[in-house]
Amino acid sequence: MREKETTLYFGPQHPGITGNMMVKLKVAGDTIVKAETHVGYLHRAFEKLMEQRTWMQSFPIVCRICVPEPDPNEENLARAVEEIEGREVPERAKYIRVMVLELSRLAAYFLWMGGQAGTAGLYTVPQWSVGDRDYILDLFEELTGGRIYHMYIWAGGVRRDLPGGFPDKVLRTMDYIESRLPEYDKLMFENAIFQKRAKGIGVIDKDKAMEWGVVGPPLRGCGIQHDVRKDEPYEVYDKLDFVVPTYEGGDIWARAMVRRKEMEQSISIIRQVIEKMPGGEYYNKVPNPLNWYVPPGETYVKTESARGEFGYYVVSDGSLKPRRIHVRGPAYVHGVSLLENILVGANISDVAMIMNSLGVCPPEIER
Amino acid sequence: MFNDKEASKIVDIIKNFARKHSLWVVAYGTGCGAIELPPTMTSRYDAERFGIRGSATPRQADVLLITGYLSVKTLKRVIRTYEQMQEPKYVIGFGSCTINGGMYWDSYNTIKALDRYLPVDVYINGCMPRPEAVISGFIKLQQLISEGKADGAKRYRENLEWYRENQRKVIKNWRMPEYNW
Amino acid sequence: MINMNKNLYNENQTIEEIKNTFHTAEIKLQRESRIIVKLRSDLIPPFLSYAKNYLAFNHLAHFSCVDWIEDNEFELVYLLYSYEKNIVVIAKTRISRDKAEFVTIKHLWRQAETYEREIHEMFGINFTGNDRLNEFILEDWDDIPPMRRDFNTIQFAKDNFYTRPGREDAQDVRETITKKSGEKIPDFAKEFSVRNLK
Repeated sequence: MREKETTLYFGPQHPGITGNMMVKLKVAGDTIVKAETHVGYLHRAFEKLMEQRTWMQSFPIVCRICVPEPDPNEENLARAVEEIEGREVPERAKYIRVMVLELSRLAAYFLWMGGQAGTAGLYTVPQWSVGDRDYILDLFEELTGGRIYHMYIWAGGVRRDLPGGFPDKVLRTMDYIESRLPEYDKLMFENAIFQKRAKGIGVIDKDKAMEWGVVGPPLRGCGIQHDVRKDEPYEVYDKLDFVVPTYEGGDIWARAMVRRKEMEQSISIIRQVIEKMPGGEYYNKVPNPLNWYVPPGETYVKTESARGEFGYYVVSDGSLKPRRIHVRGPAYVHGVSLLENILVGANISDVAMIMNSLGVCPPEIER
Repeated sequence: MFNDKEASKIVDIIKNFARKHSLWVVAYGTGCGAIELPPTMTSRYDAERFGIRGSATPRQADVLLITGYLSVKTLKRVIRTYEQMQEPKYVIGFGSCTINGGMYWDSYNTIKALDRYLPVDVYINGCMPRPEAVISGFIKLQQLISEGKADGAKRYRENLEWYRENQRKVIKNWRMPEYNW
Repeated sequence: MINMNKNLYNENQTIEEIKNTFHTAEIKLQRESRIIVKLRSDLIPPFLSYAKNYLAFNHLAHFSCVDWIEDNEFELVYLLYSYEKNIVVIAKTRISRDKAEFVTIKHLWRQAETYEREIHEMFGINFTGNDRLNEFILEDWDDIPPMRRDFNTIQFAKDNFYTRPGREDAQDVRETITKKSGEKIPDFAKEFSVRNLK
């Protein structure tokens, strides 16, 4: 007996979706037969806007491209402009940048934990993890003035030096967060129901993963060890001591374990940075921003964000405004072509969990 | 004992008291401001002590929270969501993009003033507003409700042609159901 | 900064191999682990297939397009990455702006379909062989493709959307402040004005 096919709109207004996007599902009974991603609900035309603004005016708006984790965007644009111009960044600024990036990665992982457990029905974890993430946002507010959008990293260094007593506050927050991780283990990662809902679901083939353009924790969850911080170290990552964790399996459970292990690595990196931070300048001053001509050239820079490889292709033609800035977010591949592939044959109740574990974030698909 | 006018005043006071202490927000994160909603609704800046909680569908909700900018594609869905909500209903404009377009003032895809397309009761300014600012916006809405001035739904019903004209100027392919409730 | 004294063995070997197979390619070593290859437009599909199958560049990192309206050309840019050699190859080609057409590379990398859909919508380039060039990001768009340089987005926003008064652009906020407080903008600050931008 063949079941009738219906169309379901896992639509923009939905309590279980990771942002403002739609997945159009063709369903036979309970199993998905075909999936189609519809994006465009958050399109602000960033690339056109950045072509109308001068180089310095692009920095405040570029952090809004990726909402949960804005710092890799600023870092990418700053590094691209420095590479085209040949501008040196002082050592202290590099260490501060690494600290800001790792704190932002921790905050994004906490938000991910809340989302992943919420879709499984475990609603205590978001209350805990979003509350703990707030302590990191407090640190950001003291350092940069804003909780979510910092506008702190710019071409030539960082905007302000660390305030007095800041390294101690960071270390205290890291101690607190490290003491909380065993609680999350007991609640979420050792939970039998969560394991049953996560193991064996949403599997990515290991031999096809690299060809399909999978990056970041989904790639490391298939057992392939690649990380931009180790392959092409930027800032001071080559001087820091950390491990890139992997896990076999390719399913939701493997990706969750990869992220859990990376949280410990981030805490260790932040502690090393605070220990090794040198003194000195924090900013290599750019010329008057209204008169700043970047020489012609092009470059491609990439950063490892919490969801994968974040790339920027920047072209300059020697004028006051950029010629072309093209942003490649990790969710561009994960959210459209990979998702449409993996959802075939899955159950309707697993759609939200799979989307959360791949890290599909619509603002960076359509910018 | 009481004549009709006083009785209806007392009933109004009780009605508004009940309505303002139980505001259910539609689960729709329309823009970047939605990232400050999890901190507001969870344990640190607990919004549930004011009676604010999320609701899964528009039929069961009171408040539509437009968090940030609206692209034209989202505006069509937001209008449909708003018209599916039952009265009494309120709209809160969140962030500076609803007031005058924000930093996307020259974008070809975002609307610049929310007031022309949907009736707004309270604006919360900021980019992003802090969770305390969000809660203070809700308290302002509670104040308006208890005074009887939160009449966005009534304005929408009475000036439907004006709102429709503005909406049709922006949304080109108009395939929407007629508003009849 | 980037250390040019590092051992560039992998990069030089890759340049040799590309040069031997594609004689008309212009190859430049921009810096360590970045090679820029400029090709004729009909050599791009064989080059991409050669790089993917023989030179182990199996990751399509990015696929972009730049509008050079002064030369009346579009430039398509393919960024390939090899995990083993740790090199990014930037393969560029130019196609004419009046007859904007190209072949698809969907058969090599599945995710190229998404990039081509976006470039078709934003620049108007038709990719033959890709049968999914429908609406992707914009809805009911009937103007010229918006990322082209001759599309004026400020004019479009002014014509189509109602803006609240009091937000006219290029207004100097210092003038408003000084009007209210009765001071004047000092002379040394007058030369730094948004209106003096070229």
